[in-house]
Amino acid sequence: MATFTINGRDVDVDAHPDAPLLWVIREHLKLTGTKFGCGVGQCGACMVHVDGQTAFSCRTRVADVEGREITTIEGLSETGEHPLQQAWIAEEVPQCGYCQSGQIMRAANLLAMNPQPTRDEIVAHMSTNICRCGTYSRIVRAIERAAQEV
Amino acid sequence: MTRERTLGKTRPTRREFLQGVGVTFVVGATGIVGACGLEPGDDGLPLASAPDAAISPNAWVSLAADGTITIQFGGTEMGQGSMTSVPLALAEELDADWDDVRVETVAEHNPVYGNPARSRDLGYPILYTAGSATVRGYFTPMRQAGAQARKFLLDSAAEQWGVPVAELSTEPSRVVHGASGQSASYGEIVARAKVPEYLPEVDESEFKSHDEFRYLGKDLTRLDVPAKTNGSAEYGIDVQVPGMVYASILRTPVEGESPVAVDDAAARAIDGVTDVVTLPYGVAVVGETVEATIWGKAALDVTWSESSRFRATDHARDLDDYEARARDLDFHTDNPLWQEKGDVDTAFANAERVIEATYRTDPAYHAQMEPMNATASVSEDGKSAEIWVSTQTQSLTVLGSAEALETTPEKIAMHPMYIGGGYGRRTEYRQKYVDDALFVSRAVGKPVKVIWSREDDVKDGAFRPLAAQYLRAALDADGNITGLEQRVATPTVLGYMNEPRWAHAQGRDGIAMNGAQTTRYAIPNVRAEHVIVDRCSRLAPWRGVATSYTRFANESFMDELAHTLGADPLEFRIDLARENPEGRAVLEEVGRMANWSEPRDGRWLGVALSDYGGSSVSAGVAEISVDETTGVVRVHRFWMAIDAGFILSPRNTEAQMEGTIIYGLSNALKERITVNGGVVEQSNFYDYQVMRMNEVPEVEVRALTNTRPPSGIGELGLATTGAAVANALFAATGVRMRELPMTPDRVLTALTAREPGAPRA
Ligand code: FES
Ligand code: FES
Repeated sequence: MATFTINGRDVDVDAHPDAPLLWVIREHLKLTGTKFGCGVGQCGACMVHVDGQTAFSCRTRVADVEGREITTIEGLSETGEHPLQQAWIAEEVPQCGYCQSGQIMRAANLLAMNPQPTRDEIVAHMSTNICRCGTYSRIVRAIERAAQEV
Repeated sequence: MTRERTLGKTRPTRREFLQGVGVTFVVGATGIVGACGLEPGDDGLPLASAPDAAISPNAWVSLAADGTITIQFGGTEMGQGSMTSVPLALAEELDADWDDVRVETVAEHNPVYGNPARSRDLGYPILYTAGSATVRGYFTPMRQAGAQARKFLLDSAAEQWGVPVAELSTEPSRVVHGASGQSASYGEIVARAKVPEYLPEVDESEFKSHDEFRYLGKDLTRLDVPAKTNGSAEYGIDVQVPGMVYASILRTPVEGESPVAVDDAAARAIDGVTDVVTLPYGVAVVGETVEATIWGKAALDVTWSESSRFRATDHARDLDDYEARARDLDFHTDNPLWQEKGDVDTAFANAERVIEATYRTDPAYHAQMEPMNATASVSEDGKSAEIWVSTQTQSLTVLGSAEALETTPEKIAMHPMYIGGGYGRRTEYRQKYVDDALFVSRAVGKPVKVIWSREDDVKDGAFRPLAAQYLRAALDADGNITGLEQRVATPTVLGYMNEPRWAHAQGRDGIAMNGAQTTRYAIPNVRAEHVIVDRCSRLAPWRGVATSYTRFANESFMDELAHTLGADPLEFRIDLARENPEGRAVLEEVGRMANWSEPRDGRWLGVALSDYGGSSVSAGVAEISVDETTGVVRVHRFWMAIDAGFILSPRNTEAQMEGTIIYGLSNALKERITVNGGVVEQSNFYDYQVMRMNEVPEVEVRALTNTRPPSGIGELGLATTGAAVANALFAATGVRMRELPMTPDRVLTALTAREPGAPRA
């Protein structure tokens, strides 16, 4: 049993302590916006926030988030209108879209730490996340757009 | 309720429709007039009275009395945007307000919804989204269907108001009678409309002209985009079915082997594991949670058979064998030539000079971000199933599933989901991930979601094939190219991944060979040949299909010829494209974009030309630098000029070009699959690395505008990438890389082997 907060909601999950947080979020809690890409911390599709910091949920044991606060793409904003989400639509970033939850969570973490990042800072920060569709230039533009609006 | 109507003699028959006779066939005249939820009117024909009542003037569109317009989409959406652009063509001719439109993805194998551009695969149109054929194939039928539905509304309004139809016009989702000022919404008209005895016919001459377009050619937000920013877009892997269990499969390490002994005691002891199912190609661990099945899989102890011929694979030797076949001009397989023009043998016999080169390319992995997965619920008798899957083809998924269960296609109810990257990976006739879910569900009697690990996805990947190509050119005394031959030694991809289509293909494997033809250059005698060799891995079309290797070879070779003849590579191509205005135009344009003749400090340019997807053509220029101490090639900028006919959405076109250029460059510089002893040697993104944000170039794309029908854009950008980089690398160093990928170790080896004072371009 693990107890933590997810998107502002307290949950008790009947999962093995070693269960990857990713599968607990996706299949126990049915929050499927967080994606499985590699399982080894290489792609960023599974990124969530743990106490405000990005974490690869595929590499995080559920026991390690006991009592902590998790935010997933579903909880980034109540209405789905976080400035980054709006910028993502305005710049039409997603192609297949599979990587984009992770990209947005990673970008939100950047803007929280550094509200006016330079282009180089964006690139350095975002290179943890793979987008096989190659939407990288639009991700940069969307982050720049959101930074202007925040 | 669906009403079948008999159509008059002047209407195309259903059979004619299926065959797509002529260019003016009427899409809606399929014999299907759907009239759902209608009450009978005075003449016994149904009348739409309930607000949710709807009339379907043809198979593609349903008009509801509440104003909702529902359009059927016969493709699948994987980020290329055709779920928006294809229905938009219908909405445009219908003169619909796009806000009133709902799009439904067709969830069945029904040739009525098949893509006319995919009529030859199995002998009739199928639902199959690949080869950049979706917009190309559906554009005109969609316009037909929209125009027909609009005519139906105009006729209905004329009858309802007692005015001549010629006095009516439309505004978005409204019919207007200018003379009286009377107007009504489409929904209001539908509420009082009767289903006509005969459907109005539409001729292409009645289509809107391009300057009348309200939507086409403008940038609307793709329908799928908002849901892809908030986690609500549902991919195959996201499906939740009541009572569902999970399965992870330990797959045979070598293709063709099977489990001979299974010790599953440790796996079964894991909390949450409920079953272990032995399959012909692996062992499935079934359980209540994903994690239990992953741990259970790791705890299996399986002994495998050791009889597969793939155990004999040896990457380096296999490639040498392919090369020997490619170079042996007397060796032929019994398939027809891919291209034959003029008299190649005479051209070589009379040549003043023959130039030749061999190019080698390693297999490539799709690396789509959503690993293979499927969910299936098989009936108790094992003969019908409901499946949820990210697939590029409703048709083949249904046909393949029916084959797997030894049942008939109508017993398969399928749900196509959003696709987390397709790139050709999800196009097989028999999709192994679907087989997995079907077989395990049948065995355990429950709905099952099977999720491949990334390692499964790599090790059981279906790759772009290993290939070796031999090219030679005949030059006359004046330096004219009189003959060109390209021999591609690579397996048949179709013969592996789609046997029924291979049976229809008459030996022409477009998946192994596209791009090996020469169509844009004025070379009188040309031959391209598919030298079919044994495969060394599982195979699938890759993004750009074969162009990433065929164009790498022939556009690198063009550069070699230019160099031999002392010509500028761009000028050389422009001259050779003298009889092809489109090819010439994109070359000239990309030259302007890149400022081709301006030297730059520490950076070099390379150019390549390619067509793709019907009549589309692109020219790309790469600007690179190379670190001669590490062999690392960096692409700083990439310019691309394209002619893809009429551009439905400029922004989406640019996005597709950027994506395909990055996909191509990533492969050209980094990506390599090797198979030895039957084992794929790579595992995950740490040893199959793809381009990240810190490696991508600045990309600039320009689409030449014209009003020719749209051709494909989803892969067009890719074909030129490998050759453009290799050609730039030659300009930079005088070293000709004839092998993909151009990894730092290979570049360094080539640089080290370079003779002192080797020519620089
Ligand atoms: S799934 Fe966690 S980093 Fe890839
Ligand atoms: S949008 Fe497809 S992987 Fe990023």
